[in-house]
Amino acid sequence: MANWDELAEALADYTVSCNTNERLRKMQRDWSRVLHFECSDSRDRFFMVVDRGEIVRTGEGHEGVPDIVVTTESETFCDMFWGDLNPVQKYLRGEIQVKGSQEDVMRLDAISYVIWPDV
Amino acid sequence: MAPTASSPVPGFVPDPDAKRAALEDFATFLNPQKVRVLRAAGLDLIEAERSGPWVFDLDGRRFLDCFTSAGSFNVGRRHPRVVRAAHEAIDRLDHGNFLLCSREKAALARKLAEITPPSLECTMFGTGGGEAVDFALKLARGATRRSRIVSTVNGYHGHTGFALSAAGREQYRHPFEPLMPGFTLVPFGDVAALEVLDDSVAAVILEPIQGEGGIVVPPPGYLAAVRRACDRVGALLILDEIQTGFGRTGRWWASEHFDVVPDVMTTAKSLGGSLVPISATIFTEELREFLIPNPFIHLSTFGGSDVACAVALEVIAVMEEEGLVENAATMGERLHAGLRQFAAAHPDVVKEVRGLGLMAGVEYGEDSMGPRMSFHLARHGVLAIYSGNQPAVMRLMPSLVVGEQEIDFLLEALEAAASDLLAGKGPEEVAPNRARRRPVRPAASALGQG
Repeated sequence: MANWDELAEALADYTVSCNTNERLRKMQRDWSRVLHFECSDSRDRFFMVVDRGEIVRTGEGHEGVPDIVVTTESETFCDMFWGDLNPVQKYLRGEIQVKGSQEDVMRLDAISYVIWPDV
Repeated sequence: MAPTASSPVPGFVPDPDAKRAALEDFATFLNPQKVRVLRAAGLDLIEAERSGPWVFDLDGRRFLDCFTSAGSFNVGRRHPRVVRAAHEAIDRLDHGNFLLCSREKAALARKLAEITPPSLECTMFGTGGGEAVDFALKLARGATRRSRIVSTVNGYHGHTGFALSAAGREQYRHPFEPLMPGFTLVPFGDVAALEVLDDSVAAVILEPIQGEGGIVVPPPGYLAAVRRACDRVGALLILDEIQTGFGRTGRWWASEHFDVVPDVMTTAKSLGGSLVPISATIFTEELREFLIPNPFIHLSTFGGSDVACAVALEVIAVMEEEGLVENAATMGERLHAGLRQFAAAHPDVVKEVRGLGLMAGVEYGEDSMGPRMSFHLARHGVLAIYSGNQPAVMRLMPSLVVGEQEIDFLLEALEAAASDLLAGKGPEEVAPNRARRRPVRPAASALGQG
């Protein structure tokens, strides 16, 4: 189980990976969402605010009304944020649960693909 | 029959290498993310042999096709009579000059008038469903000289200009806005919502049963109420029978179940018999009056090509002579009886089953179960996709040539897939051929971006 410091570091690295990827920023420029994340194996919860493709805020706890809620184990979040797993495979195994539209589920997977085409 | 059995087709040689090459080219020259998602979902088929209700992946696996390109293969894949008619048509015809009159167009329009409700006598041809809907809406505006169009939430009518404007799903429309003005959405099945109709409304367009919306059968009396509301304000009723028509529900047209006759009906998909693109907008003689002074106001270079019309005529002949509409009703009863048992046995997986004839929907407990069941069904030899506008709902729309054996195969596969789902099975995870990216260093807090 990952502790909060690991999760925070993974989230910070993910933020940098997304925000410095110009191809992704252009692709996501019409995408503004509030995402909530919940660890199923710990009590950790955190959030992400995306404004026109840019991750403008992340933090511990929950902020705002979520468009998307992602639930999985803390280690899986770390793997996802560091590009060490294929999110859609985990989703199809039922190990990542996403509440939100199917388009947003595809978007989340597409973000991983654009940053890490080999996942 | 074992759900995972594969039966070789004479002359079919599986070629996994060719499949890999095709997927690579598809990813390179079409869309890599489409390949990635389909691969993860176990749906990265390259269709090779296609026969009746079955399709073979290029790697040799056999699937009962329950997606049928959203109901495009009602006579089955490559029906021998339709294939023969297509060969004969190509031997003597081509598209034809779209501006001229044509024997094949005339013959098919006459046949469509025969198999649709008596008041629908006139036809405009197109190449696909979106084009048929576009013309239906143009005709409504042109004939009534009114501008407003009312469509339904979660409705689906295609991706062309007018049709997309009527789409009941924001995600399809949003990137392309502004679309056509004057479109209003109302909840499907809600009679009270029809109060929005007034004398500015040219037409109401809806599917008799929502397909992409999740196989939603309207409540009793709803379509009749829509008809009355249209009549009250002088608006036209357009029924999109592109997925529901051509025998899919056990009647030629789904609207027959509800005793409602529209002013305009659209059909496409199965009209082409899985071989040619063709669609038709069928309407009343009264509405045709708009086209008398405007005979060239809507043109389509390939719409109702002579070859496609010849094929479509044979498709209708096959439907009639092989009793496929009646078979859809009979096999539909068997399917729905089995689905009800399946639902009763798996209340933790299935929320509801619904539909008419061979247009069935299984609503699972939550959204992710739609894609996950697609994956598991593919492993058990069934190609089935969830609804675009309602991912928790799986559409089961096999071709109308299925028999008891295929229906039972489908039901067995559903049982096996549900067991796999409950057992937590899924795509096998393959360790990537590279080092993990996770940094090997003590964790440090880095929160508080931006």
